[in-house]
Amino acid sequence: MSDVIEIRGLRKRYGRTTALDGLDLTVAAGEVHGFLGPNGAGKSTTIRVILGLARASGGEVRVFDRDPWRDSVAVHERIGSVPGDVALWPTLSGGEAIDLICRLRGSQRDRAAYDRERARLISAFQFDPRKKGRAYSKGNRQKVALIAAFAVPAALYVFDEPTSGLDPLMESVFNQEVARVAAAGATVLLSSHILSEVERLCTRVSIVRAGRVVEAGTLAELRHLTRTEISFAVEGVPDARVAAIPYAHDLAVEHGRVRFSVDSAQVGRVLSSLGDLPLASLRVAPPTLEELFLRHYGDRL
Amino acid sequence: MSAFLALLMQRIRRDRVQLPIWILGNGLLALFASVSVANSYGDPVERTGILLLATGSPAILLLRGLPQGADLGSFVFFEIFIYLALVAAFMSTFLAVRHTRAEEESGRAELVGATPAGRSTPLAATAAYGALAALAMGVSVTLGLVAGRLPPAGAVVTGAAVAATGIAFLGIGLVCAQIVHSARAANALALAVTGVAFLLRGIGAAAGTPSADGVSMTAAWPTWLSPLGWGEESAAFSTGTLSPLLLDLALATVAVAIALIAARRRDLGAALLPDRLGRASARGVLSSSFALAWRLQWPSMLAWALGAAVLGVLVGALAPLADAVTQRDPSLATTLGSLLPAGAAGEGTAHLLLGALFAIIGVLAAGSATQTIIRMRQEEAAGTAELVLSTPLSPLRWLAGYLALGAISIVLVLAAGATAALIGVLGAGSPGETPGTGSSVATGPELGDVGATAVAQLPAAFVYLGVIALVFALVPKATIPLGWGLLGAGLVLGVFGGAVGMPQWLRDISPFQHTPVVVGGQVDWSGGFWMLAVAALAVVATLITGRRRELVLG
Repeated sequence: MSDVIEIRGLRKRYGRTTALDGLDLTVAAGEVHGFLGPNGAGKSTTIRVILGLARASGGEVRVFDRDPWRDSVAVHERIGSVPGDVALWPTLSGGEAIDLICRLRGSQRDRAAYDRERARLISAFQFDPRKKGRAYSKGNRQKVALIAAFAVPAALYVFDEPTSGLDPLMESVFNQEVARVAAAGATVLLSSHILSEVERLCTRVSIVRAGRVVEAGTLAELRHLTRTEISFAVEGVPDARVAAIPYAHDLAVEHGRVRFSVDSAQVGRVLSSLGDLPLASLRVAPPTLEELFLRHYGDRL
Repeated sequence: MSAFLALLMQRIRRDRVQLPIWILGNGLLALFASVSVANSYGDPVERTGILLLATGSPAILLLRGLPQGADLGSFVFFEIFIYLALVAAFMSTFLAVRHTRAEEESGRAELVGATPAGRSTPLAATAAYGALAALAMGVSVTLGLVAGRLPPAGAVVTGAAVAATGIAFLGIGLVCAQIVHSARAANALALAVTGVAFLLRGIGAAAGTPSADGVSMTAAWPTWLSPLGWGEESAAFSTGTLSPLLLDLALATVAVAIALIAARRRDLGAALLPDRLGRASARGVLSSSFALAWRLQWPSMLAWALGAAVLGVLVGALAPLADAVTQRDPSLATTLGSLLPAGAAGEGTAHLLLGALFAIIGVLAAGSATQTIIRMRQEEAAGTAELVLSTPLSPLRWLAGYLALGAISIVLVLAAGATAALIGVLGAGSPGETPGTGSSVATGPELGDVGATAVAQLPAAFVYLGVIALVFALVPKATIPLGWGLLGAGLVLGVFGGAVGMPQWLRDISPFQHTPVVVGGQVDWSGGFWMLAVAALAVVATLITGRRRELVLG
């Protein structure tokens, strides 16, 4: 079985509202998979189903080729996870919470390794483990769950918007940790609405919207779907030539620059048609996931 | 000003169900109690006898008021004022904490604090709202007493005293909410202050000086240290003095000022008592869901057990008095008997007292079990349960851990009550002991009765554990209101229902009504076995339905 997570036609209803409406998601072993979508698209619900905390109303869900609802314990043996909204026990210190979660995850099987990892992570995340749970900020609560997830080795890591409360420095620590576990062969599912994060970390991406995956593939495959942005200084370029640029969409001249977008497949032809012009400060920007997003949710943003 | 009004209306709206229950409930208590006292003690001679007895053996006054004359109004005031005032105190302290510290803890206060309303206006709105609630309760009590055919002038003063007590405890609650970080701790602190106030006025009454005719008393100085005592000193139906109530208002003013200053000076979410740092790493035992539940719940379990121990000590302390009292006032035996399930009639007063106090200890045990299940629901609602249930911990084990803890807490509470009662009985000398016999021979059966009575409370408490756990498994969101609601209903119907003359079929709804009664060493355990069967069924159903269930966030 090379796919760690296999979801087909997943439906989830809460009363009358439909949270998931036929969602498909496949995460292969060893990949870092980005799970992208705006708030309310169904990312957290999908993750709760994957963790067996919520029951699917319909469809098929396999994690490590098991049903996470029926075999939650066996599935959890191999998972480290961070919920989207980390709540802590008000009277337990952060260090106690980390130890408790890790002991439940089996940290006591190799105490020396656990102690080492815990100390390393606490210092990497610059975390004070002695404060009481109620005294932590959102970012620090998140650190508790992150440290507990990374301190015990797992085959699959599931993160629900893991960096939403972290500052950029801590985000980079998180990125390093993801890179570390991925290099060790673990599979990672990472939900986010921050595109740069997914672009940096993920090998494959699924985009979810209104309870369905609307696009899935490697970043390169998805970039195919978007347009490349081209611009250059207008000075010295005859108006007639500007108007005659082939395959150009949304052509405009503003702030002294000609600006237009081109389907990614046509970039070569457009550039060769511009070859004889005195182009100054030419910029060719590959599409970002931001644009990918705007295209999918453009009608709502 | 508009922010103040908006916040005030928001508070009223939020409590629109809860608050009328408190206010009307206390008014009904006043009505029922005055009618019931008038029925039982209609004869002035009888009342005088009881008051003479009370002034003669002041230990009784710990749980009653201060004798202030033998007329019916004063007698009712003596019997019930302290309980009316306690209800007002509970309403006010819970209200104060609910709208201040609990709001900060949940983070909602931050939303409000960031608006021009700032940090003082919400507190001022809570104070105004609490004062209005206390006044409404005062009116409700007045109406209840008037409807119970008591003199209106005294009823008005009683209502004023209840309102003033409520306002004083509102201030106490507001200050408690400033001192500690969590709503739970603030409520516990306020309860402790209320307990001390209750004890102080009890001691003041017990150490008071009887008047020449023996039907009224002048309280000793400790009464004057207690807001509950100030209300009592209004002597609503004899002198009707309002001036002691000024002390309540003065206390409230100072307390609100302190709370306002504290709120203005501290950060939102901080407390006057600084949070101590915790351990950097967990102790070795904190490695299972059960250990976590124990860690979260033990302070509450301890509090329930302490309450049981206090009642247990009373068994020993009051038992020697009981038989003496009954010889002069047979109605006391009737009152005590009414607290017990049917079938206790004809028992000696010492036995009735043992049974009546243990009936309340049994309610405490059920309360402790109920709170354990509620803790499980709170864990689920807050999202902390998700952290542990995302690990290789089976939901069944998680659920079973809390059920086991609930069972342990029942046993602990009853054991605390029984141990304290045994010590009390041994210390005071057995009520059944006759002069000249060897004490070991005479006390044997008595000690056995204490043990058997304690064991007899187990089944009803287990019914609560099982049924509320089943509610949690099936309708999680109903766990907290239904849990406390069922406990309150069981207490009112099963324990106090007899005293206010409820029909037996209604009382039979309460599990506490089916608790086996220890009658001189002979016990009919059948009710207990039936309840154990019900509890076992509920637990099994809970485990089956809860084996796989979705987490339901709050």
